[in-house]
Amino acid sequence: MPEVVNTISPKLREALGQVQKPGRYTGGEPGCTYKDKSEVDVRMAFCFPDTYEIGMSFLGEKILYELLNRHENWWCERAFMPWTDMKAEMERLGIPLYCLESKDPLTDFDIVGFSLEYELCYTNVLAMLRLSGIPLRAADRDERWPLIIAGGPCVCNAEPMADFFDIMQLGEGEQMLQDICATVEQGKKLGWNKETLLLALAKIPGVYVPSFYDVRYLEDGRVESIRPNRPGVPERVTKAIINMDDYTPPENFVVPMVGAVQDRASVEVLRGCVRGCRFCQAGQIYRPFRERSPQLISDSARVLCHNTGYDELSLTSLSTSDHSRLEDILDGLNSWAEQDHVSLSLPSLRVDNFSQSLVEKTTKVRKSGLTFAAEAGTQRLRDVINKNVTWEQIERGCRIAFEEGYTSVKLYFMMGLPTETLEDIKGIADTAQKVVDLYYSLDHAKGKGVQVTCSVACFVPKPDTPFQFCAQDRRETLREKQKYLLSCVHSRKIKVNYHDSATSVLEGVFAKGDRRLGKVIETAFENGAFFDTWEEYFDFDRWQAAFAACGLDPDFYNYRPLGLDEVTPWSHLDVGVSHGFLVREYEKALRAETTQPCNRQCNGCGANKLLGGPCFDYSQDLL
Amino acid sequence: MTTVRIFFEKRGEAAYISLLDLQRVFHRLLKISGLPVWYTLGFNPHIYLSFSCPLSLGQESICESCEVKTEAPAVDGDAWAAALQPLMPRGIRILRVAPAQDKPGEIASAEYAITMPASSAAALDAYNERTGAPVVKKTKRGQKTLELKEYLPRVEYQLEGESLHFTLTLPSASGEGVNLNPALLLGFLETLGGAPAWQCTVLRTHLYTKNGKDFC
Repeated sequence: MPEVVNTISPKLREALGQVQKPGRYTGGEPGCTYKDKSEVDVRMAFCFPDTYEIGMSFLGEKILYELLNRHENWWCERAFMPWTDMKAEMERLGIPLYCLESKDPLTDFDIVGFSLEYELCYTNVLAMLRLSGIPLRAADRDERWPLIIAGGPCVCNAEPMADFFDIMQLGEGEQMLQDICATVEQGKKLGWNKETLLLALAKIPGVYVPSFYDVRYLEDGRVESIRPNRPGVPERVTKAIINMDDYTPPENFVVPMVGAVQDRASVEVLRGCVRGCRFCQAGQIYRPFRERSPQLISDSARVLCHNTGYDELSLTSLSTSDHSRLEDILDGLNSWAEQDHVSLSLPSLRVDNFSQSLVEKTTKVRKSGLTFAAEAGTQRLRDVINKNVTWEQIERGCRIAFEEGYTSVKLYFMMGLPTETLEDIKGIADTAQKVVDLYYSLDHAKGKGVQVTCSVACFVPKPDTPFQFCAQDRRETLREKQKYLLSCVHSRKIKVNYHDSATSVLEGVFAKGDRRLGKVIETAFENGAFFDTWEEYFDFDRWQAAFAACGLDPDFYNYRPLGLDEVTPWSHLDVGVSHGFLVREYEKALRAETTQPCNRQCNGCGANKLLGGPCFDYSQDLL
Repeated sequence: MTTVRIFFEKRGEAAYISLLDLQRVFHRLLKISGLPVWYTLGFNPHIYLSFSCPLSLGQESICESCEVKTEAPAVDGDAWAAALQPLMPRGIRILRVAPAQDKPGEIASAEYAITMPASSAAALDAYNERTGAPVVKKTKRGQKTLELKEYLPRVEYQLEGESLHFTLTLPSASGEGVNLNPALLLGFLETLGGAPAWQCTVLRTHLYTKNGKDFC
């Protein structure tokens, strides 16, 4: 490790002296990778377009940081969006955005990669490029600039950000990003120009080069076609995936010193989801369902806890209790956790298979609150969205929890779902009331009340889901529904949380938007938009002005139902789930018909083609 | 049970690690090290760990310390230091590990080496000529006004090229006693035309006990 005293330049010292939590901008955390930059061939800046505390909670970065840095001649470093005070200081003092490890500006790197986790971080991407002095648009950058790339779930509709990136990664980065780095290394050695490099990159599975595709529009504003404009570029880009047991989960993390939001060891137990909830984008785009073997999970989690010193381990996935060998995993972990002073937590359990022994195996150490995702207030609407959960199951889950001594329960709901009526909204309040009543019908500690928190989110239709065809509820409608819901709650034991829907409106527009929105994002950014995820910085009027200035109507994108045969802006990006399946599921939703989880019965979504065979051995009884 | 004191340097980037964060870092690194540190016996056992005289954010030190407990019969300080050093964040260097001799309550004063731009000489001269230098000290219990001259009647400095240096000894009692941060002087000097705090470096060089010896 190089000697370190005085790696902080006088300018940076000045900035750090003026800002809150300067530890976010200094690096030096245990677990960082340092290399001699004169001895590396490829330098990558892994950028997270939100604050340090949020970015350092992100497992994807930890996975890729470790994989890339295993290559001796590559060096992957980290950069985050500085908070507003630091951003202002950096602008005032002319400090370009830098990576925490080397403190070198992003312009010194070969690859600058952004993780696009949610739509409202788009302006932060532009803010980070601007702070680095890098031109925003790909068309304005030649091979002398770093290659600007993106990955993450938002790439499944890459179009609103397509103008800004040289390449975008569809799907899982473990192999794809290594292939990209290897190609960049080769390109540097052979002195390729940007066109040659992009053509080589376009051959990597999952890599999308936006400038290699032309989008044509119909007169009414809908997309007519999206076609490659060069030979040797695929008509459709197919998502990259990996086999979970081919990759050891990270056994080392950069351990943040300034507390991150998720500041614990975590190990991914499975990818994909068998449930097929029709509103859920993650449940579709991460298909097919793949499990990691219990032994690998337990062994690497133990090494991870040992290397990082974390005393809390979290099992992560979309639905941990759907792992067919969850009990084996927990037995494996419990065989060493206590003696290593590590406690387990399992987010993302489902009410319908939440069992006594599961609670016992995870609450050895600490009782926190429990959260159940009911998503909708009535059985009819739960059937529409294919959230195959019944009141009996919620009741059973709550009963177990209360008997184990829990006194607070959080229920997740959405409003603005397709086919929703006021009766469904009232159902949210009724469900919460029934949970309160259940608590008092059971033996409970004297004087100990129950707290039921209903968290009600505004539904946003997302691409690659059966509800992509639906229009989003209007803002006024959502406000009325929120008001009505409050009028239905009659108990002080029930707390209702909801958000203003303005951010949901924008989220809906960018989720389903096309390439023309790039200039709206750029205009809003130039007019001062960044940190749109943070309520105190989000300014809806500024966005409306940006739409008007660009001559685009936001309502066209989110308040208009899509035709079932319409060419979507993401139709050239194949996440595995077929259009036909989405149409079938949408039609079943309108009839309130449910679909079985795919470990029980294959529903023919098409994602198994990515595996080259069936996802499950249906000849065995899997449940 | 032996109380073991770990002395370390906190410099460069590490100057920006707050006390709260530093506690968490040491907690984890001690856990990784596998050293036989004592865990508390409650429902959530955790490593007993206590820092004496925490440093202000942005200041550096070559005399920081924290203490842990151990039930091990003997403590090989060099082995402990060797186990901890490779785990430490950049800027933290383990100086010495040894059984504690003094209690943290014995600490009475601290010595600091201050560096400022040479242009601040006039402000220091002005300070030395003044009869009073009232400063406002903010504490958790509110503000109170202190007279700096009571503790620092004069500051003798040496000019050296572009910068000037001086040494301060300030009361640094834990608990009820007076505790003065060199930032109070720097802040006062700034009102007299001295350089802003970010252009100055503060390096804590010694912690002294009531009888004037190095805290150990």
